[in-house]
Amino acid sequence: MFRRKFTLGWTITIGATLALLLLWTFFPIYWMISTSFKTNMDVFKLPPDFWPANPTLENYANLFSTATPILKFFYNSFLTALLTVVVTIVLSTLSGYALSRLKFRFREKILVSVLITQMFPLVVMLAPLYVLYNKTHLLNTYTGMVIAFTSFALPFGIWMIKGFVDTVPVELEQAAMVDGCTRLQAMWKVVLPLTTPGIVATGIFAFLDAWNNLLFPMVLTNDITMKTLPAGLVLVFTGAFKHNWGGMMAACLISTIPVIIIFILLQRFLVEGLTGGGVKG
Amino acid sequence: MVSKPSIPQQSVGKGKWHKPHLPLPFILIFPSILVLSIVILYPLISSGVLSLFHYELTNPDDMKFTFLKNYQMMFHDDTFWASLKNTLFFTGFSVVISLVIGLWGAIVVDQLPEKFSGLRGFLLLPWVIPGVIVGFLFMLMFDVEIGVANVILQNAGIIKKFLPWLMQAQLAMIAVIIANIWNQVPFYILMFSAGLKSIPMDVKEAAICEGASRWQEFRHVTLPYLKGIMVITSLLMVIRNFNNFPIIYTMTGGGPVYSTTTLVIYIFRLAFEQFNIGYASAIGIVWCIVLLAISMIYVKILYKQDEL
Repeated sequence: MFRRKFTLGWTITIGATLALLLLWTFFPIYWMISTSFKTNMDVFKLPPDFWPANPTLENYANLFSTATPILKFFYNSFLTALLTVVVTIVLSTLSGYALSRLKFRFREKILVSVLITQMFPLVVMLAPLYVLYNKTHLLNTYTGMVIAFTSFALPFGIWMIKGFVDTVPVELEQAAMVDGCTRLQAMWKVVLPLTTPGIVATGIFAFLDAWNNLLFPMVLTNDITMKTLPAGLVLVFTGAFKHNWGGMMAACLISTIPVIIIFILLQRFLVEGLTGGGVKG
Repeated sequence: MVSKPSIPQQSVGKGKWHKPHLPLPFILIFPSILVLSIVILYPLISSGVLSLFHYELTNPDDMKFTFLKNYQMMFHDDTFWASLKNTLFFTGFSVVISLVIGLWGAIVVDQLPEKFSGLRGFLLLPWVIPGVIVGFLFMLMFDVEIGVANVILQNAGIIKKFLPWLMQAQLAMIAVIIANIWNQVPFYILMFSAGLKSIPMDVKEAAICEGASRWQEFRHVTLPYLKGIMVITSLLMVIRNFNNFPIIYTMTGGGPVYSTTTLVIYIFRLAFEQFNIGYASAIGIVWCIVLLAISMIYVKILYKQDEL
């Protein structure tokens, strides 16, 4: 394997692009962090300080002490996201496996319709969904949220896992079944270990979708103590509080840290998941 | 130890198990179908039905069957057309610009030696940040008085006075598009990186051997191989951007005066602030049709190019 020699011009181009990209990526994040450590006076200074003149932790202290139930939001987000991950992984794996391996009449139609569900405007479906949830007492419940989140993450998960299962040779399962495994045992022992990147990727996407989702929690919960982080923050930082920039940035930072951590730890699964699965041309 | 099974060789991925009496597939798939039906299928059908009625939650007993009156109303509704235009504008610019930046970014990152691959991980960061937070953050950065965007532009000599970003129609649209691009470019980089890695080595080497310049290699080797992923990614993102709610809602709420109101925001306002469910459903159905049409055109173009 050989590559081109890097000319000076090319190297400079790459370096410059990279520098710009990194700057563009990190500057807003840095701004969020630095604003969260500014006092209220400093926030409104003109021109704004690049580095906080009087770094303070008061924004964070306020977050936890006042009426903003940010810890409850955290808890709600975590709980619903984790449950969504579990449910999504289980359902996607079963369905993905079935759609890949088993031949049955509606297979093609189901595959296509799963993809089509991605296209529909969630906003519109929320109104009837709200009415439905109201009647079935699912409003303001974790169950209701998890069901909604799962439906959002499911189509992608099914496609991803199906793509992965497609790449596992059928012979492996056949061999296992000749050795005495039942179908499900063959699936568990042979296929699943080989589709792990896809499963993890599905889990990551499910978590991200659930954690970041604004519409569902905003509409499907009235009770502020049941809101997840995005919906809760929107409620808290309206009106007069909109200009509490320091507090807002502190809340934002805290809300982002879990997803950043998960992402950093598991990011290679994301790339593997997208390359190994059926997401090609 | 294990004798080869006497079942004829099957091709990979095409498990043709002939056990038609097993309800297994249905058992496996049923839970998924159930969830999707509750949350997507039922509301969808319900919306379709509701769109034919005059139904306002503030007056639930006054539900009249008005057939296509909602659609008629829509035709004459200036706000509807404005929001449709805004949606197309927002989506179009976001996708095109993000695609170009993402492609270029992926190529550059692909050129890096292995030890720098962690860098790509960092570049993916904006994508995992919740839309609400991106919205808040850029709302701060585009603030008229203390926004860092104005400061930077002024220091760079590009503007003299601070721009009222979120308070002026066109500027607000530009601001939300920029926030959206910041949020989404990483996804393009991710997808294109995966695509770049799947280009076979020997094809690339052949191009170098034959004396192709980098640009020629890009045009004749890279692009054709990436076309599939480019189409899929951009289609996915068009759909996603049609649906984009958090960024616009937190940054501008659809203002000033509907200038950043996309279809989503409009429907949301109609359904959950004015409680006009019937009309909102009608707009939603129209949206589905528009999106389906765009998707079909997209796919048709893709297949046409394949035949050429």
